[in-house]
Amino acid sequence: MSSEGLTADVGSQVAVTRERRGRWERSSGLLRLAIEDRLALAGLIVLSVLIVLAVFGPLLWPQDPLAVKLSHTLQPPSFAHPMGTDGVGRDVFARFCAGARTSLIVATMVVLVSGVAGGAIGLVAGLSRGLTGVVLMRAMDAILAFPPLVLAMAVTLGLGAGVTAATIGIAITTVPYFARIIRSDVLRIRGLPLVEATVALGASKSRLIGRHVLPATLPTVLVLGTAAYGDAILTLAGLGFIGLGVQPPAPEWGTMITQGLQYALSGQWWVGVFPGLGVLGAVVGISLIGDRMRDLIDPTGTALGS
Amino acid sequence: MLRLIVTRISTAAAAIFGASILAFIFLRVTPGDPARLIVGPLASAKTLEAQRHAMGLDQSLWTQYRDFITSFIHGDWGFSYSAGRSVAGEIGSRLPATLELGLYAFVLAFVAALVAALLVTYRRRKEADNAARLFAFTALGVPPFWAGLLLLLIFSEHLHLLPGPEGRLSLATQPPGKITGFYTIDALLHGQLATFADAVRHLILPVLAFALVPFGYLFRLLRANLLEVSREQYLLVARSKGLTEWTAFRRHALPNACLPALTASGLMLGQLIIGSVLVETVFNWPGVGEYVVTAITRQDYAVVQTFVMLSACAFVLANAAVDVLYGVIDPRVRVSAAA
Repeated sequence: MSSEGLTADVGSQVAVTRERRGRWERSSGLLRLAIEDRLALAGLIVLSVLIVLAVFGPLLWPQDPLAVKLSHTLQPPSFAHPMGTDGVGRDVFARFCAGARTSLIVATMVVLVSGVAGGAIGLVAGLSRGLTGVVLMRAMDAILAFPPLVLAMAVTLGLGAGVTAATIGIAITTVPYFARIIRSDVLRIRGLPLVEATVALGASKSRLIGRHVLPATLPTVLVLGTAAYGDAILTLAGLGFIGLGVQPPAPEWGTMITQGLQYALSGQWWVGVFPGLGVLGAVVGISLIGDRMRDLIDPTGTALGS
Repeated sequence: MLRLIVTRISTAAAAIFGASILAFIFLRVTPGDPARLIVGPLASAKTLEAQRHAMGLDQSLWTQYRDFITSFIHGDWGFSYSAGRSVAGEIGSRLPATLELGLYAFVLAFVAALVAALLVTYRRRKEADNAARLFAFTALGVPPFWAGLLLLLIFSEHLHLLPGPEGRLSLATQPPGKITGFYTIDALLHGQLATFADAVRHLILPVLAFALVPFGYLFRLLRANLLEVSREQYLLVARSKGLTEWTAFRRHALPNACLPALTASGLMLGQLIIGSVLVETVFNWPGVGEYVVTAITRQDYAVVQTFVMLSACAFVLANAAVDVLYGVIDPRVRVSAAA
């Protein structure tokens, strides 16, 4: 982060950052935001590599992640198998790439679905002055009553273990975070004079929301989205570990780590270590990017999610 | 103050009520047919019907929900066929193992986070700050069960320094007589030093795996708070009246920065619950989390249902208690909450 948080002369530094930020807003772009900070750049690189492996994995490494080869079980990493083979001779690297695909797709779906649903709920709750808002926010409280993984676990168990159920389960646990933050943003914006002015100019409600309220919530939503993305990957791995996520033999990082556990004590470390590195890289990568974005939105460095 | 307590208790009650409906929908209404799961695929229609009747599944949803809640409140959590005894009994006997693990993990996480946050904010070295931030991000990005796997690989399989996944004690060691249920404390109370050492050796790896996530949270929280507080004007006043840099920091910045960390202790309970599920199985630690994971693989629904409801209650009540406590300590919160 930001030297600005750590410099003694905070006042002038904030002013400088504000000025810089003004320039950024004119010529922004995710890449530019990230390059300024080395950690964020590292995060961007790791995440890009994983995305390339997820998308082009089958082209770059044309081995079948499901092909069982009992003559080649538990082979250490080599040129033929960069991450070794597992207990039934499947290529761990091919499974790693397929696992990256699963994790990234699920996390993207979770963020999109919960972002849209949570956004809608937050918007309605923030704009309504009656019972609707109260009821909606109470429903969000009910979801927040569970530790996230526990609710995802219950939903997945109820819907029948699998990747769709896991996605729904994780999305449900994520909705309240979006709903709450958008609602408070809407409440804040609603009180601003610009809203009164827009109404006075004769703007319709949909124009008010579409042109003034929603764009103003975008920065916070982006930051929250990165956090939700990382959490979704972790929760999916956790569900896989419990046995409720993606069902074997389909490759998924969490279940691969679980399989790796039984070989840990006999020395075949590669079965479980590589998929964990995948989870770690994806989650840390996205949170470093999100952290940088948060610094840029709030240069005083006082904001803190999580 | 009273108003804060009343508001907080009523929202907590509403949240638990809502949570119970969610749990009921997902664990009682949606799964295929719980009666079929129990009697098995070969049972006759008549047996199935009898089982459905015994479980109350032929009642209306409302009656089912009422029974679900009444028996939960009465501590009648059903029979766990994976454990062969009542769910309440099994959870009760496993709770000390989970609490012992969680307690040491949180003490470690808090102390480490406080020291690290102090180091990077007091000295204000950018490299140290970057390193600590990267470590905190890593701690938050590691799946706890994978951390457990790595620790086992390094310290048990490779270096042979610490025991492998064999639970709380070596096979040869007898558990100490039960006083608190915490093996380390009980062993000391009985004066059995060898047992104590064995229990500690078995605790180290699971505690480390468990502490990573809370460390990450607490470090980031304390670091941000310390940075924010160090910009406050009262700190400038404290320094200008002649206090040394460190005294001003310790007396005026530290307590104020730690206060919001209290709010996080509610969240930490959630982490304790999740961590117990994700870490214990790796180390064959005979706690509540391991029981739940086993119950899920054996489709022992009564256990999962109880666990889900209990964690919601504990999580909500802890958060409510923290809010009230916060209001007691910090008058500013009281004013804004009552407004």
